[in-house]
Amino acid sequence: MVSNRSFLVQLQILTKRMVLRVVRRPLAELPNLIISAFFLFVYDGALGGVFGGTASGTPFDFAKGNFINFILPVSIVSASLSGAASGIYLVEDIESGVFKRYQSMPISRWAIILAPMNVGALRVLLQSSLILFIGIIIGADPAVGNIGFLIVLSIAFIWGMGFAGYSVAAGVKSGSSQGAQAATFLFFPAIFLAPTFVPREALKGWLETAAAYNPTTYVIEAMRAVMVDGWELDVLFRGYISAGLFAALTLTLAVLSARKATEKA
Amino acid sequence: MLAVDVKNIKKTFISKQDTVEAVKDVSFQVKQGEIFGLLGPNGAGKSTTILMLTTLLSITDGRASVLGLDVSSKDKEVREKIGVALQDTGIDNLLTGKELFFTTCRLWGYSKKDSEKRTTELLELVGLKEAADRRVKTYSGGMKRRLDLGLSLVHSPEILFLDEPTTGLDPGSRRVLWDEIKRLRDNGVTIILTTQYLEEADELADRIAIIDEGLVVAEGTSDELKAGIGGDVITFAFENNNDLENAKNILKNTVQEKNELRITVEDGASKIPGYLKDLSSNGVEVSSVSASKPTLDDVFLEVTGYRLEGSEDITKEEEKSER
Ligand SMILES: Nc1ncnc2c1ncn2[C@@H]1O[C@H](COP(=O)(O)OP(=O)(O)OP(=O)(O)O)[C@@H](O)[C@H]1O
Ligand SMILES: [Mg+2]
Repeated sequence: MVSNRSFLVQLQILTKRMVLRVVRRPLAELPNLIISAFFLFVYDGALGGVFGGTASGTPFDFAKGNFINFILPVSIVSASLSGAASGIYLVEDIESGVFKRYQSMPISRWAIILAPMNVGALRVLLQSSLILFIGIIIGADPAVGNIGFLIVLSIAFIWGMGFAGYSVAAGVKSGSSQGAQAATFLFFPAIFLAPTFVPREALKGWLETAAAYNPTTYVIEAMRAVMVDGWELDVLFRGYISAGLFAALTLTLAVLSARKATEKA
Repeated sequence: MLAVDVKNIKKTFISKQDTVEAVKDVSFQVKQGEIFGLLGPNGAGKSTTILMLTTLLSITDGRASVLGLDVSSKDKEVREKIGVALQDTGIDNLLTGKELFFTTCRLWGYSKKDSEKRTTELLELVGLKEAADRRVKTYSGGMKRRLDLGLSLVHSPEILFLDEPTTGLDPGSRRVLWDEIKRLRDNGVTIILTTQYLEEADELADRIAIIDEGLVVAEGTSDELKAGIGGDVITFAFENNNDLENAKNILKNTVQEKNELRITVEDGASKIPGYLKDLSSNGVEVSSVSASKPTLDDVFLEVTGYRLEGSEDITKEEEKSER
């Protein structure tokens, strides 16, 4: 018997197993995809028109003539929330007792925790890419050229991992998949207290203040800069920093809570 | 070397609401190659004990070792040697039986090729060859238990911990598992199993510890335990309650069970006439009387003061199904 129990091999096996679980439940992928696509179509079709033609000060104007470019970042942010599945996957294993079984075997506990994070990351990439692809089909065209798509995807990835970490921490803390599921409610303030449908300059009063403290704002603005305005390095930088700080914070929380979960009671 | 050596272990769960002494003082020793049964009712502390011995729960006080390895300090080494099937079966419903075996083999360090070979062997061993490509979701309770047992055998462990391996199974499926467990023992595997069924302990276990409210209240082979009661059990049945109450006062040291009184004495049969005379001279009517060797059931009643619920029903079910 050739024994290979290196950390990476174990992580790979556990990740593969979890991918199988995801593949066996394809319908679970739909809600988040549909919501994300919804932003793209409805806000393009409805709001793009409602706000009135190409007159100055309308979204069409902010969008510099391409409303898809303006709204695509919102759809991508929404798609990246699919990373929150990581916590749900992990808690499902805790609830079903699979987690305990793994703990009774000589398996690295980090492999047990990282596997759902891996799958969450894959999910973010796939869902974001799919939305991006739909965006391209219906006419998205980054101001900085095609490299803009890569930039958007990379920010979405970091942001999505932030949500993955958040969901793992919330799930382990609450000890239930409902707890992890509830984590996705963060979606509402994240999207609606941000310059989602109009630029930040158009927000008024408390909404403007809230948006200033919402990291989503900077993530959307960075993506939007690339899509609509061109190279605005300071905006881009703020976007990466916001996403990066959010991810660093939640991943630290995830590691701390997961370490606690794998400790003996 | 002892397979398992447990010395005065204790487990106290402390939460904000309250403190639970799940295991108060449990000691026992398991020799290599035997089946050791932990028999006890719901909440006795069986699972908690198993979780401590399998390194999944810390030990509040006392010491335990598996094959000479301390469970607390050498937990990694212990996990290498043991196979575990917990009470709440941790089985992935979305995967097929074959995929589960394969994944588990890989996790234990087998190469892909060896994993395939071992998977086929184990599917055969636990009788799941036909269902190998079906998702576990579609398995019956008995199949899941066999799968669970199979998964705990992947790395050919020297010591196997089975927490209530047959709970919820029909008598037929239970027999299948019993035979499998005995076969493992005959191949040299040491098995520690918990059960709430007297018959199971009686049939399977080479030695038994009865555990109640976190304490070991009796330990030995089934025969030793029965002999420990001493003599025979005489059972008196009564038709009315008055007779029963009066008889209680006359006979002394009886244990009541519904409309019956039991008394344990040496050479029971020869003492029956004397008892009957005492009773009838006091005007007590006895509807029936019998003497028998003590069963594990009687042992349980003697050491805990109550009967293990449902134990009789199972025997009846079993008789039915064997017909
Ligand atoms: N994590 C925990 N926190 C608090 N109390 C617990 C915990 N686990 C078990 N207990 C308590 O400890 C006692 C023993 O539980 P345990 O699960 O060991 O019993 P058991 O003998 O396995 O019972 P069963 O036959 O029902 O499986 C019970 O009163 C239970 O409520
Ligand atoms: Mg139990």
